[in-house]
Amino acid sequence: MAEMRYNVPNDQWPVHPEKATLEGRNKFVGFWTFLAGETVLFASLFATYLALKDQVPSQDHLVAAELYHLELAFVMTMFLLTSSLTSVFAVYHMRNNNFGKMQLWLGITVLLGAGFLALEIYEFVEYVSIGHTFRSSAFGSAFYFLIGTHGFHVIVGLIWITLLIIRNANRGLSVYTAAKVNTASLYWHFIDVVWVFIFTIVYLLGVL
Amino acid sequence: MAHHEPEQLTETQLKYLRTERTKEMRIQMISFGLMIFLTFIAFALVALELDKNFIVPIVIGLAFIQVALQFYYFMHMKDKGHDFAKLLILTGLYFAIAFVVCFIMIVWIGNPI
Repeated sequence: MAEMRYNVPNDQWPVHPEKATLEGRNKFVGFWTFLAGETVLFASLFATYLALKDQVPSQDHLVAAELYHLELAFVMTMFLLTSSLTSVFAVYHMRNNNFGKMQLWLGITVLLGAGFLALEIYEFVEYVSIGHTFRSSAFGSAFYFLIGTHGFHVIVGLIWITLLIIRNANRGLSVYTAAKVNTASLYWHFIDVVWVFIFTIVYLLGVL
Repeated sequence: MAHHEPEQLTETQLKYLRTERTKEMRIQMISFGLMIFLTFIAFALVALELDKNFIVPIVIGLAFIQVALQFYYFMHMKDKGHDFAKLLILTGLYFAIAFVVCFIMIVWIGNPI
């Protein structure tokens, strides 16, 4: 099968390698369908959070305005936004048939994503230590469920991209691996899309 | 299935593709700059502690602009062949907004009808 060749010369690399095969095109449509479903999943979590925001059983429980640190949310946003750009770089090099640089930018994306995750874990540990836990209030449950589901997506994305880097390290680029990289990159952008709403609705509007 | 992709690209075609991709990259960089800028404005507005009724709609509006940039430029939804993707995401967004508005109505505004 000609389509499965790895590391083809530049003049044989398709214009849209990620959609050069039937599998690639199916993956593309299927993944956008999945992302639409994810949108609805996060919407229900956002709706729950907004409904239960600051709903605590007594005065001694902390509410949003006392909990959130804007500085931390800002640094986390920068990490994730930059990692979104680095995955754009990876797809750019994939389309240019430059395997080495694609791997490099995917690696940087993983590092930035890991930085984001570390900050989120730090934030959760901090909140738990001052009594804001999953079970402390309805507000706590809604908060951890929303942010935690997003954090889980970040973990999945990190594992996914890391596995792609390792799996492709020896075999290089083909129209088959190009579709995989493109799909992982779409997923990573979607994580950033959700985070844009989280930092706006949860953190920015939370401290008002 | 007929395959319309040319098997072998000429030197000129390759050069053209490279320039087009570099151009696109420049646009990606601009949209990234815009996203960073919008994030700064949103955080600054909140940090300045201005009037709540003034900040809330602006900050939410900025989020929607950022998400549009992310979808259209970073996720290539502006490119050809993304009609199905657009339909799906818009349907998803429709339900997303409906859920949020519905919950806010029921819980915080109450008896709207």
